[in-house]
Amino acid sequence: MTAALLQVERLSKNFGGLQVSADIDMELHPGDRCALIGPNGAGKTTFVNLVTGVLSPTAGTVRLEGRDITGLSAQARVRLGLVRSFQVARLFRSMTVREHLELAILQRERRTWALFASVGRTRGLAGEVAGLLATMGLGAVADTAVGQLAYGQQRLLEIALALALKPKVLILDEPAAGVPHSESQRILDALDRLPPDLAVLMIEHDMDLVFRFARRIIVLAQGRLLCSGSAADIAADERVREVYLGSRGHAAHRA
Amino acid sequence: MTAAVTKAPAGATAAAITAIPPRPSRAFRDAVAVALIAGGGLAAYWIFPEDLGLLTRILATCLYVLSLDLVLGFCGIATLGQAALFGTGAYAAGIAAVHLVADPILLLVVGGVAGGLMALATGALVLRAHGLTLLMLTIAVTQLLQELANKLRWLTGGSDGLSGVEPDPVLGLFRFDMYGRTSYLFALAVLVVGVVVAQRIVRSPFGLACRGVKEDPLRVAALGGSPRGHLVGMYTVSGVFAGVAGALTAVTSGIVGLDSLSFTWSAEALVMLVLGGAGHLYGAVVGTVAFMGVHHVLASTNPFHWMLFIGLFLMAIVLFAPGGITGGVARIAGLVRRRAP
Repeated sequence: MTAALLQVERLSKNFGGLQVSADIDMELHPGDRCALIGPNGAGKTTFVNLVTGVLSPTAGTVRLEGRDITGLSAQARVRLGLVRSFQVARLFRSMTVREHLELAILQRERRTWALFASVGRTRGLAGEVAGLLATMGLGAVADTAVGQLAYGQQRLLEIALALALKPKVLILDEPAAGVPHSESQRILDALDRLPPDLAVLMIEHDMDLVFRFARRIIVLAQGRLLCSGSAADIAADERVREVYLGSRGHAAHRA
Repeated sequence: MTAAVTKAPAGATAAAITAIPPRPSRAFRDAVAVALIAGGGLAAYWIFPEDLGLLTRILATCLYVLSLDLVLGFCGIATLGQAALFGTGAYAAGIAAVHLVADPILLLVVGGVAGGLMALATGALVLRAHGLTLLMLTIAVTQLLQELANKLRWLTGGSDGLSGVEPDPVLGLFRFDMYGRTSYLFALAVLVVGVVVAQRIVRSPFGLACRGVKEDPLRVAALGGSPRGHLVGMYTVSGVFAGVAGALTAVTSGIVGLDSLSFTWSAEALVMLVLGGAGHLYGAVVGTVAFMGVHHVLASTNPFHWMLFIGLFLMAIVLFAPGGITGGVARIAGLVRRRAP
């Protein structure tokens, strides 16, 4: 058993009297391919925001490689290797794909204060960018402004940007959101090429994608951890079916 | 494959509809722009030997507007306080010239350092705000400094202005003559150096990060960067440029007035930049030359109504060429390139 990269212990968040996350425990190990699912309002987004440092928890701790990072800012966590992608692609619309990756790599290397250096002549940069472009299948659009990319390609770039930061833990917030079903295969192919020792946590609604990608699934319901297990366990779990189908079954019954 | 037939640039997809010759590389375009500025400047020296005073003022103003482009065009900082940085440089150089040193290049350094420090100090404070609040704060800083310069009469000359700036010959060789030839060529050299340095900065990793901050500061933070740090950094760089521009004006004109710290002077920089097109560097030069040139011609031919024509000119540009003059030209060039067989 390898040591946990990311450890979340009894993480809770209250907004006033409303408890949106309660006592969530979770661990991610190197090479994990984990999915976080749950019905709308289960607290998935809050959980991601707590782990990445956008929100600070009411109670509980988050550890990265054993180090307590609960009090660190989102930026500091990124620099330590806890990186997320965004549900709605947040990109710099007038910049090209190449410039995005250059910026991310330079940021990782803390070289964005080089006032008189040349981006084009930064050693090793062009090669690394080319590698990322190839991994994500974005080579043909490297010099296209992001505003002109198809949505699926923007999603791929979003993942590429996260990868450019050389994360240890990668949180993918609905990587296929808004992508037509026919194209989600390309996203999945790209996810298959992620570095094997990277720990990945994916938040996703598309169950097809979840079952094909994840080797372990965590289910949240009403801010609590409902259960976790392999895809087969989850598919067979009565409680999961209930939280997903409960309200819908009820509606169907009434109709 | 059609791409081979039409000689589309490498890397273009099959969707490269018609033959579009490759855009010249950025480095090449930058070099051409510098050559055009230097060549145009020298040509003006021969063509308008009677107007060197005006032309020198235009060159120094180009550098000043360029400094605004660095923050507005490349960082998206909306400011109406650029004159604070320009005036700080002008007064610092002027006071140094009267009391301390007379070497013109050293005076530019004094102006640049002063402008940079002023930008660093005020930027660290006001860049916490955004949008309209930021705009108000930059105006407030300018007003404060102007009032300060007005009150410190013993040091700045107050409303009479600071006179008696008499710099030594440039490099000990070229004396500032009464026809303004040395002033003009000195200003041109400083502008060309300024443009080259600015090009270098906006193409650097720092410049790239600033462009990111301009578009989405939160996304830069999510990449682990510090958006505000970069804003303050670029504001400081801009302060150095504005300070040098102020010092250049002081050195070449021999006086520094309170108008160098005025709200109007800040606003005019914005007008000239929007006219030329923000975010290109060259827009600053084109806009300044166009604005001050038209201003000069109209004011001398029709001293009563020239403001009206300036206003109409501006409205036409903003309505029909939102990217300013350079943006409009680039669009036309793009059309021509696509039409070309």
